[in-house]
Amino acid sequence: MRRHWFFILISLADRDRHGSGIMRDVLELTDGELKLWPVKLYGSLDQLSEHGWIRGLDRAPANAESDSARNRWFRITPAGRRVLAAELARLDATVRVAARRLAHSGDA
Amino acid sequence: MRRGVRLGQRAYGVMLQLLPESLRDRYGDEMAEAFGEELAVARRVGRVAALGVWLRAFGDVARCAPYEHWRQRKQPRPKEQRMQSFLSDLRFAGRSFVRQPGATALLIVTLVLAVAANTAVFTLLDGTFFRPFPFAEPSRLVYLNEKAPRWNLEFTGIDYTDFAVWRDRARAFESMALLSNESVNLADGSGSERVDVSRVTYDFATVLRIKPILGRMFTREEDRPKGPNVVAIGSAIWKERFGGSQNVIGKTLRINSAVYTIIGVLPPEAEFPDGAKMWLPIGGNPNETGHSYSYDGIGRLKTGVTIEQAAKDLEQAHQPIWLKSDSSHTVSPRVMPLHDRFVSDFRVVGVALGAGASLVLLIACANVAGAMLARSMFRRREVGIRIALGASGGRVVRQLLTESLALAALGGAGGALLGGWALRVLVAANSTLVPKWAALSVGPRTIIFSIAVVAATALLFGLAPALQLTREDSHDALGAGGTRTTSSKRDRRLLDVLVVAEIGLAVVLLATGGLLVRAYTNLRHVDPGFRSDGALMFRISLPAVKYRNGTTQLAFYQTLIDRLKSMPGVDHAALITCPPFTCHWGNFFKPEGAPPLRANETDPVTLMRLASPEYFATMGIQFVHGRAFNENEGQAAAGGYRPVVVNEEFARHAWPTIADPVGKRIGSRDDTSSTNWSTVVGVVKDVKHYGLARPMIPGIYFPLTRIDSSANFDSFAFVVHTSGNPVSLFPSIRAATRALDPELPVFRLATLHSMVDQSLAQARTVAFVLAAFAAIALTLAVGGIYAVLSYVVGRRQHEIGIRMALGAQSLQVLRMVVRQGLVLVAIGLAIGLPSSLMAARLVSSLLVGVTAWDPVTYVAVVALLVATGTVAAVVPARRAARVDPKIALSEGAT
Repeated sequence: MRRHWFFILISLADRDRHGSGIMRDVLELTDGELKLWPVKLYGSLDQLSEHGWIRGLDRAPANAESDSARNRWFRITPAGRRVLAAELARLDATVRVAARRLAHSGDA
Repeated sequence: MRRGVRLGQRAYGVMLQLLPESLRDRYGDEMAEAFGEELAVARRVGRVAALGVWLRAFGDVARCAPYEHWRQRKQPRPKEQRMQSFLSDLRFAGRSFVRQPGATALLIVTLVLAVAANTAVFTLLDGTFFRPFPFAEPSRLVYLNEKAPRWNLEFTGIDYTDFAVWRDRARAFESMALLSNESVNLADGSGSERVDVSRVTYDFATVLRIKPILGRMFTREEDRPKGPNVVAIGSAIWKERFGGSQNVIGKTLRINSAVYTIIGVLPPEAEFPDGAKMWLPIGGNPNETGHSYSYDGIGRLKTGVTIEQAAKDLEQAHQPIWLKSDSSHTVSPRVMPLHDRFVSDFRVVGVALGAGASLVLLIACANVAGAMLARSMFRRREVGIRIALGASGGRVVRQLLTESLALAALGGAGGALLGGWALRVLVAANSTLVPKWAALSVGPRTIIFSIAVVAATALLFGLAPALQLTREDSHDALGAGGTRTTSSKRDRRLLDVLVVAEIGLAVVLLATGGLLVRAYTNLRHVDPGFRSDGALMFRISLPAVKYRNGTTQLAFYQTLIDRLKSMPGVDHAALITCPPFTCHWGNFFKPEGAPPLRANETDPVTLMRLASPEYFATMGIQFVHGRAFNENEGQAAAGGYRPVVVNEEFARHAWPTIADPVGKRIGSRDDTSSTNWSTVVGVVKDVKHYGLARPMIPGIYFPLTRIDSSANFDSFAFVVHTSGNPVSLFPSIRAATRALDPELPVFRLATLHSMVDQSLAQARTVAFVLAAFAAIALTLAVGGIYAVLSYVVGRRQHEIGIRMALGAQSLQVLRMVVRQGLVLVAIGLAIGLPSSLMAARLVSSLLVGVTAWDPVTYVAVVALLVATGTVAAVVPARRAARVDPKIALSEGAT
């Protein structure tokens, strides 16, 4: 899965967010390493919606601050959760293999 | 602050136009808002941060836009939207090109050739004319020399003592320095090589404002007669021989068999002007007696000083010299912008190439415009439908211009590549085409130029057809009869004008190209005054530390000549100080009994050479009167008898009334004692010493035995004649020299054939390039004639059908169409021929042995155009003649 999709899905996993919120959250998740500039961000959101992994909400949640209420909010779909879970499992397996190999080669 | 951000957002919004519309519709506002937030934060940090945001936002758009377009395209969209964007126009253009692959390829090839010609020529001109020298404030740099009209010399070379006076007295100059291009023997591990060097006064680098990469430049102390052996090496030698080591200062080099200490490493631009690999101090003596007009000078003017002021100042500085020794002002100082001096030889060539390339481009534009116009005629129906369906005129123009732009971009990219390559090939084939210091690189300037050319061509050949089409009434286009209304007459007229212009321009190129080719072939047949078959030449320089006097030098030369003559096939071998096409060493002589020169009488300089007796036989130089020197004739021991051989020009000048001057005596002009007379023993034909295109000046040959009584020679040239192939002797010549002295490099080893050839290189290249331009021009113009007549025939099938139904014969139809083509040719010739005469006068200095109105060339041009024009007309004419009236009439009725 593309790296920025992965982080967008993670960002939406615990709560709904709007565009700028996703951008800030991803920046934080990656320790400032991955900054999604506007076209990249909204292009990805558009494509993720097309895949049916996220969807745009018709209106902002009631608890949103007023100045972000105008923006479109996004929510992860069940399909999106499944894709994310599958990706996590794949990564997890890779991490385990890598750790094992690293341990074995430690005395070489 | 807020306002700045809003402005920024709006600008960003413009940038977002690059995105697909659907994405922009959905998210454009939010993107702009997100950008605004970023910008607002960054602006609080500072300008640099804001700039960073801008750059990265732009990068974001630029990186993602192509992908988003690709992604959006995969989804079905309503057709209306597709009509909107530039990219869809481009796709549309692509499809219309693909529908006619042959015609499109032809248009692109046309443009590629034209842009290639212009890119190559622009790079050439840019490197030599437009780009300033690689020195600080180049506009203040001037070239200094001396002139002597009475001696027929525009440049005498600067005399060192004159320079010393100037340097003390001139006020308008910040600094001035001397330079002389020489070559030296540079020893390496096993033998040695010949290396070009500049001998300079100590402050040469100061004038140019260049600084050593390492170490220092010369001091005033080092630049004196018999000064220390110091050298500043160029960066090339530094890298090749010392691997670019930082510890090179203080190391030594063996130059002319003496040890020199390296004091500095020069930057690459120190190779100016002739590719010097090292600098050595001149070590001149400001008080020396006698003159050595041999140096080039450069100076840096003080700020704000004009060339005229500098010239006046230099004249004022020169006064004491005139007062002391030159009351008739024979030699006077001369100053000119540095750039003028080093491009003057090249100016006419540059103008000719630049004008030629521009003409090719214009013709190509006219050609493509014609083709696009003709093509758009056939698309009139399509355009009419689109306008009728509601497309605005502007949109249609934009669509058509996009097509032109796409063509131009393809042609431009291909042309830039081809042009860069062609230039490399040309320059590699001909090193004299451009000065050595010229930086010929396809850099940003070339790219900007190519883009400008492409944009201009797109407009030139795109706008006319586009406007023509939209003036069209859509009713007219949709109606069945729309193809035969007044608009088609208007189209036809525009096509005619384009083709006539093409022919006219092609005539100019053909005529000038033809004249230059004629001039070149004339040059090839000029008798150089010597026989080049089977002959070769090379130089050797004997270092003074090892070969101290004439006797030891002569002994070496004699030994080498004997060895050369013992080689298989060699029948002659000889020695000369100054072989054809290379150096100049001038002096002045007077015939015995001649009255003293009047004050303003011209006194042309005489080319002086020392030659061994066999030189004339080796070179095949013919005697008009008398004989060559005898062996050992003229030695000091032989008691005062000094034989000389003069050329015809000298004899004509010294004894205009005497047919055979053998036995006459001449003396040095400045020698007032009457004891040192030389006796003419022979008169030889003139050798074209300064090039086949230049007239020969008076010349004189002294026997080699005078070697001691003359100046010390830097190097000698050996000439060898063989019955076999001279090239096969090259290895044995090197071996024979190495056997005598392993430290002596053989240099400038070449056959006489290649030397003659090299002297013609520039004329050949210019003639070749312009002939190529002319060939392209002719092809395009003839193609234009063909296209117009094809169009006309296609349009008039109906009418031709009627004519034939009414009894016209095929032959009559054929003749009618051909006549139309020839009328175009005739008008084109009527415009082109007078223009050619003017163009030919611009390049008249390149036209050796041909006048600007050379009838052969013009008759050939007319014949060529009429012939090719007829052929181009016959093909569509035959098609017209084969028209079947029944079919043509029935087609017309639909």
